[in-house]
Amino acid sequence: MNAVRPDALSATRSRVARASWFAAWLAVWLAAWLAAWLAIVGPIGVALAQEQPAESAPAGANAPTAPPADAAAAAVADQPAAPSQEFKSIDQDVQALKKDVVELNKDLFVLEEELLFPANTQVAVFVSLDVGEFFAVDSVTLKVDDKEVANYLYTAREAEALMRGGVQRMYVGNLKVGKHELVAFFTGKGTHERDYKRGATLNFDKGIGAKYLELQISDRARKQQPEFVIKEWE
Amino acid sequence: MKADVRPGWPAAVAIALTLAALLAGAPRPVLAAEPSIRGKPAADFALKAVSGQNVRLSEHLGEVVLLNFWATWCGPCRLQMPRLEQLHATYGSAGLVLLGMNVDDDAADAVEFARTIGVSYPVLLDPRKAVAPLYDLDAVPMTVLIDRAGVVRFVHYDYDPAIEKLYVAELRQLLDE
Repeated sequence: MNAVRPDALSATRSRVARASWFAAWLAVWLAAWLAAWLAIVGPIGVALAQEQPAESAPAGANAPTAPPADAAAAAVADQPAAPSQEFKSIDQDVQALKKDVVELNKDLFVLEEELLFPANTQVAVFVSLDVGEFFAVDSVTLKVDDKEVANYLYTAREAEALMRGGVQRMYVGNLKVGKHELVAFFTGKGTHERDYKRGATLNFDKGIGAKYLELQISDRARKQQPEFVIKEWE
Repeated sequence: MKADVRPGWPAAVAIALTLAALLAGAPRPVLAAEPSIRGKPAADFALKAVSGQNVRLSEHLGEVVLLNFWATWCGPCRLQMPRLEQLHATYGSAGLVLLGMNVDDDAADAVEFARTIGVSYPVLLDPRKAVAPLYDLDAVPMTVLIDRAGVVRFVHYDYDPAIEKLYVAELRQLLDE
């Protein structure tokens, strides 16, 4: 058996080997960190450099020489006026662009409505309230051909708007040509703050062309009761 | 003769540094996905409140709105509500509108609980779950902060003092805008 004798040379060799191994690992680790750092910071630096406003071009071969002093003074005097004129025109351009965007938005909305609800199948239901002393509307539910199509809760502000004469387009949808049934349920408070729920029905014929129906809530003074009527617009 | 290369301290340091580098670069686990409603206009809705009035979100455009989805069976929700009442008292005059959105199946439970707690801000009832899907409600409590332009800016799930501190700071930021 070969005994392992502590030997100065072999001890040194082993220390060198260990140190070399450590140095190699450290180099690999540092290289990896540097690569990662460059990958992250590099693009950010490039992006920041590109955002910098372009500096004035360096003087080329045909660059003009420095202007004389009086011309320079005149140029300085004109400078305050030129930026304000420029800003004014930019502002006007921006305003014009905004106006165009609003107009375009409006046209797109109308076009969207025409595409989604073409005139030959469109049905629109409106709600109006006349006076409103005997009935404070809380919600209206619509059923077309026994299928619930709309349910609208009215806030105090919206109810006030109706009382002041506003007409609300509550529902717009598509229906095939033919006979249909519309049922509307009105929920709210009647006289003496009592809960009030009433319904109204209309059987109508959907022809070619848009159909407009109005749910009218009005006060019938003779009977001290609200009246709920569904009307067809001609 | 083979050199005696026993693993010593250089190897240990190298291994430790390598592990640290790997862990620092490792992707952190994502605990919750980015809410899909964040940055988008808040979906409009109208619900009946416990007081009997109807409340519509779009009528509060121009104000900062905090929507708090909750349920009576949710423990953290019960802890959060008194704190929300304090927020309402503190920031209500600064333009904060606080709306509690209850999602219990039985609205009567919510009415009873709200009266017991004694909250003064509107508690809206959504037993039919008509509004919850509009806000991708996964769990309660969920706190949604909407800015004055009607855009959902911050969404928080769950409740604890750390989360509360966060959304109060965000609330102040929105009120200052």
